[in-house]
Amino acid sequence: MGLFVDDYPDEAWVVRAALASSFLALLIGGLMGTIQALHRTGFLQVIENSTYYTVLTLHGVSLVILFTIFFLVGFYQWAITDSLQRPSENIRLTKAWYGLMVLGTLMASIAILGGFTDVTDMSADVLFTFYAPLEAHPLFYLGLATFIIGTWVAGFDWFRSWWAWRKDNPGERTPLRTFMVLTTMLMWYLATIGVAVAVIFFLLPWSLGLVDSVNALLTRTLFWFFGHPVVYFWLMPVYMMWYVILPKLSGGRLFSDPLARIVFVLFLILSVPTGIHHQYLDPGIAEGFKYLAMTNTMFLLLPSLLTAFTVVASMEHGARQRGGTGYFRWLTALPWDKPAFTGMALAGLMFAAAGFSGMVNAGMNLNYLVHNTMWVPGHFHLTVGTAVALTFMAVTYWFLPQITGNKVFSKRLGLWQVVLWFVGMVFMANAMHRVGLGGEPRRTADPFYDGVVFDTALGSISELHFQIALGGVLLTVSLLMFIAHVALTWFDVANRSTPEPEVLPPALSGPEHAPAVLENLRLWTGIAIVLIVLTYTLPLASIISSSGFFGQAGTIVAGMLDLVITVAQPLLEVGP
Amino acid sequence: MSSGTESDVSPDVWDGEIEREIGHDEYDPIGTLGLIAIYFVIIALLWIFMYFVEFLGRGPTVV
Repeated sequence: MGLFVDDYPDEAWVVRAALASSFLALLIGGLMGTIQALHRTGFLQVIENSTYYTVLTLHGVSLVILFTIFFLVGFYQWAITDSLQRPSENIRLTKAWYGLMVLGTLMASIAILGGFTDVTDMSADVLFTFYAPLEAHPLFYLGLATFIIGTWVAGFDWFRSWWAWRKDNPGERTPLRTFMVLTTMLMWYLATIGVAVAVIFFLLPWSLGLVDSVNALLTRTLFWFFGHPVVYFWLMPVYMMWYVILPKLSGGRLFSDPLARIVFVLFLILSVPTGIHHQYLDPGIAEGFKYLAMTNTMFLLLPSLLTAFTVVASMEHGARQRGGTGYFRWLTALPWDKPAFTGMALAGLMFAAAGFSGMVNAGMNLNYLVHNTMWVPGHFHLTVGTAVALTFMAVTYWFLPQITGNKVFSKRLGLWQVVLWFVGMVFMANAMHRVGLGGEPRRTADPFYDGVVFDTALGSISELHFQIALGGVLLTVSLLMFIAHVALTWFDVANRSTPEPEVLPPALSGPEHAPAVLENLRLWTGIAIVLIVLTYTLPLASIISSSGFFGQAGTIVAGMLDLVITVAQPLLEVGP
Repeated sequence: MSSGTESDVSPDVWDGEIEREIGHDEYDPIGTLGLIAIYFVIIALLWIFMYFVEFLGRGPTVV
């Protein structure tokens, strides 16, 4: 077996293209983040307050939609092709979904960038959380829809490879990486129903002027139906990297293949029926429904804690194979000189901290304390901003040689880069949490108000603002180092020798130990659907019955829909 | 290597970086247990700390 790029050149092209798109989005989104960190804290204000929201939208959409998902599709294409050992069934389809995603990106980006200029009325300053009442140009919604359809086709493409593989290998267990891809995509299909309905039936017609108003709470609820599981769409590829690549880098083997599969099944089941926990403070949703969402959310801690155990145990196995001993001394035997290992380990450490702030967010009573404060961005800069972003960057140092055929430019530069990201985020995210506890709101260009003083228990708010700005600058330096490093490797500036193909060792406890029912994807999807129906039917019915599909204002279309409901309801109630 | 539960792996997989292979049955992740225990203690202490922040440190929350 040779390098991936040699064995599957066409697939490697798509993987490279997806990664290049991902890194471009990372660069743009990251630079927007620098502007925000310095603007909000008052250190450097190069934009108007009104432009801040365009910057914030570009930051959010670039990083949590484009950077993460482009990376995911590239990485998953590699995972499917490499673990099934078969090329794409139809490479034209593979290139088509990538093309569709690029087209959607261009459409949404044009709409967002319109916000920077007065030449056109076009704008989409709706932030990543693009629910009503904020309204964007139709091109933004059309672009997002096109992008998501691209990901749906990608999922179909991977299922197709799996179906073909199963035909050729009857009775065999699905390889772990393929299993992870398939469960992720099933979760994604369920999750995106919410955003698809919100965009197609409400936001797009509203933006096009076909209807006068929408039910804002309904679009919020549909957004969060998608908005929470999307975080698992970022995390599940990271989990795959931690389960499959990190043990090998540590010098060991995955502790348990069945446990990894159970974790992915749990994510498929539990990711979607939790979205209402983002709406604890929304009037119009009864407390009982919120309580149900909280319960489901707390169950989601289970797969994350299982992961903490399995991944650390796999690292320990590696450390002991490398000669490590003692209760904790083995930690020093790990390959801390490898940027890919160090970055992923530090990302995992940050994720453990994020677990704590996530539990605070998830608890209804504690959430009231931090809701809509800077605590929340502090939390997700630990999760998506570090656990995901730092793992993606770190794994790139391992992955890039496989798909380009070029060795990484410099190990030391990579090491500095991942450590700098970690340090920058320690400053920035920690200070964000603390100013949030002090009551400072999120999503504002300028958080200073006359007569309002934010207090913090330790230190001062201005000191914390300095930490946010300092962290932001360190992160920017790290980001630029990463992009430069990728470019130096990609174009093989150092002209180094060809890398060796990487072999992933099998798990200590292999797939043969997994119960056969784990392979029954229909069953798990069915359970996931039942849970979604149980969690969402009543709240959605309640939201629609109190304000209609299109809000109180009423339109011809909405009026007709309401008329149909009024006529149909007694007929339904008459029944036998 | 006394394992019996998994296929043998060539040490080449790790580019000659390992000293000895440890099989399924000889491996006891005691260090992991220690680290996870420390994590749980930290989480428990932080929860207790949150009690003070929420109930004793502030008035009613208005956001």
